Amino acid sequence: MAGLWCLAVGLAMMALWLAKPAELAAGHPAVFGMKFNAALAFSVMGVALLLAAREFHRLPALMLALVFLYGAAALSQHLFGIDTGIDTALNVPFVDIGTSVPGRIAPNTALCFMLTSLALGLRALQRRNGLVPVGLGFATFVIAAVALLGYVIALDFAHDWIRFTRMSLQSASCFFILAIAIIFSGKEPAGYHRAVLAGALGALSYLLLLAMTYFELARYESSFGITFSSGGTNARSTLSSLVLISAALYGGLMVHLYLSSRRSRAMAADLAAHRIRLAAIIANAVDGIITIDERGVVLSVNPASERIFGYGAEEMVGRNVKMLMPEPYRSEHDRYIANYQRGGEAKVIGIGREVEGRRKDGSTFPLDLAVAKLELGDTVLYSGTVRDISERKASEQALLDANAELEEFAYRTSHDLRSPIASSLGLLGISRDMLAEGDLPALGQTLQRMEGNFRRLDHLIQNIITITRNRLMEEDTQPIDLRALVAESIDALSHLDEFKRIRIENHVPAELTIESKPSKFQVIVGNMLSNAVKYHDPKEAEPAIDVRAVRHAGRVRLSVEDNGLGVPPASRHLLFKMFKRLHPNRSFGSGLGLYILRKSAESLGGTALYEAKDKGSRFIIELPDGDHNENPLDPGRR
Amino acid sequence: MKIHSILVVDDDENDQFICEYTIRKFDPSIRVIKAFDGTEALDVLRRETPDAIILDINMPVMNGFEFLDRYAEEFEVHAPVVAMLTSSHLGKDRERAMQYAFVKSYFEKPLQADHLRVMAELLE
Repeated sequence: MAGLWCLAVGLAMMALWLAKPAELAAGHPAVFGMKFNAALAFSVMGVALLLAAREFHRLPALMLALVFLYGAAALSQHLFGIDTGIDTALNVPFVDIGTSVPGRIAPNTALCFMLTSLALGLRALQRRNGLVPVGLGFATFVIAAVALLGYVIALDFAHDWIRFTRMSLQSASCFFILAIAIIFSGKEPAGYHRAVLAGALGALSYLLLLAMTYFELARYESSFGITFSSGGTNARSTLSSLVLISAALYGGLMVHLYLSSRRSRAMAADLAAHRIRLAAIIANAVDGIITIDERGVVLSVNPASERIFGYGAEEMVGRNVKMLMPEPYRSEHDRYIANYQRGGEAKVIGIGREVEGRRKDGSTFPLDLAVAKLELGDTVLYSGTVRDISERKASEQALLDANAELEEFAYRTSHDLRSPIASSLGLLGISRDMLAEGDLPALGQTLQRMEGNFRRLDHLIQNIITITRNRLMEEDTQPIDLRALVAESIDALSHLDEFKRIRIENHVPAELTIESKPSKFQVIVGNMLSNAVKYHDPKEAEPAIDVRAVRHAGRVRLSVEDNGLGVPPASRHLLFKMFKRLHPNRSFGSGLGLYILRKSAESLGGTALYEAKDKGSRFIIELPDGDHNENPLDPGRR
Repeated sequence: MKIHSILVVDDDENDQFICEYTIRKFDPSIRVIKAFDGTEALDVLRRETPDAIILDINMPVMNGFEFLDRYAEEFEVHAPVVAMLTSSHLGKDRERAMQYAFVKSYFEKPLQADHLRVMAELLE
């Protein structure tokens, strides 16, 4: 824009100078206030500016350097009273208007040429708007604006720095536009506020004009002996005083405007930064943050809330927050809010508690909820922070369970370990009596009892070792030939007295293999079989045990079926529990057998089940085939 | 007062043997009644009330505490001396047992003549 204007003005003036229209010069001498050289310089600057805008850098800089040199030469002629001959070098003026020497440009024009060309040159070279060009533009603006205003209010001093040499209206307009272009154009924001700068420019120009007016007045007063003051002899003119006061006021206002604008800008920037930071904190919070209004309508949710509840933000905002609650909280929430607002007791607000949440899929989960009341003027909002504590709860429960089991185990072992020892101590005392009395047959019987006690103790300790080993042992999964393993386990029972009476059949298909842990698996099969043998029905004519296995839906189901004593319905809830002996008169079991069975199955990621039959029992274990996730709380246990 | 009859409630055959032997040794005139769990004991008690009961805690089917609950609920007349006889001292068990008014003593296995002496004194 500025480039085009300069070019247009420059070319028009050059054309005028070359055309030499004498009538026009006579009629309107002011038109020729701009000299040919100046017009040329403006044209050059216009071209340079246009080139620079099209990403040329060297050429504009060179052209501007020439303008600068011209400006410097013209100014030095005024300063040092010399004549370099450049004034008429290109064009001998046919008229002479407002000049000391024909064709010579005014010193303020020359200075402005220097300032603008330097500013534009620097900008073209640095490719950005630095502080120096802006400062130079600033100075140019003030000079040009003062000159322009001088024309408007007919104050010659404003454009005529020295007599007979004035900055022409055209030049002033060109400099004015150039200065604006220098100061305010630029792609990246410089470190200043444009409005403030514009204000400062206006103020400075105004002040300069005022100062000039004042000096003019003073000059008139002294040179013509006139005083504008109506009062005392010593007093300055009231007008001047008023002008000065208004100038001071205006200046003060400008300073105030500048300061307050700077402060408000700083505050706005601060607020924006703060808002961004807060938004980032809420958006990236691990906890869900939900705000609701007084009626419970959701106003905002953060991404964590979407993650926790499974709803998108748009599905929650605008709806009542009770959608995130399962019954009975859902139905009671409105009443609860109403009750709180009537001044009732706060149950969550400001306190926080564990509640239940409801996900989009309808599942519920434990939730840590803290609600804060936000009073913002007339409106009251509630901001809730939610944290899904399912995992924590599950871990807590797992720990409690494990601890309870451990306590139970300690209690029961302490009892069951001591029991055979206490019994043996008693028997030992009795044996001594019997020995003293010489009752050897009775003594023999008593010793046999003691032996039984020790066998029981040994058995118990073996079982405890099995449990501990099962828990601690790290074992790799490998393919197990199920049929062979069952056959082995059956053989291992052959030492039992009852074994020969019982028909045991291995129906497991030969090709069936399972990916599992061999030792644990062996414990399971051995346990199921020995139980079936131990609790067979002695009154049964044909005691039988059938072992079967099938693969179904990625799981292997192994069942051991007998026609033995079975489990009385009243005792079935005790199955698989620690130290429960359901057939007291039948066998001196440790009460750990089925517990070990269950634990082993669980540690392989499976389950142990019992199914009652019309006669006898069916014990089943279901195991996953292959690898699965390990329980992080209890390594080795799956 | 002299003990005439004692009901021994214990699932362990060896412990039953020790009790019987110790009681015989202490006073051969005492009649020993055996029950192998709580249910059996309640059956016996429905027929008669012995002078004393020696009760184990850990028993299958109906353990000592379940027996005590039933005995307290269902019976108006209780044996004058009920003594717990258990293989291990665990504070909680003892406290729990001593809450029953008719439980007078808490002994640790094996049963000894001294235990019977204490019971005889309690009967007086």
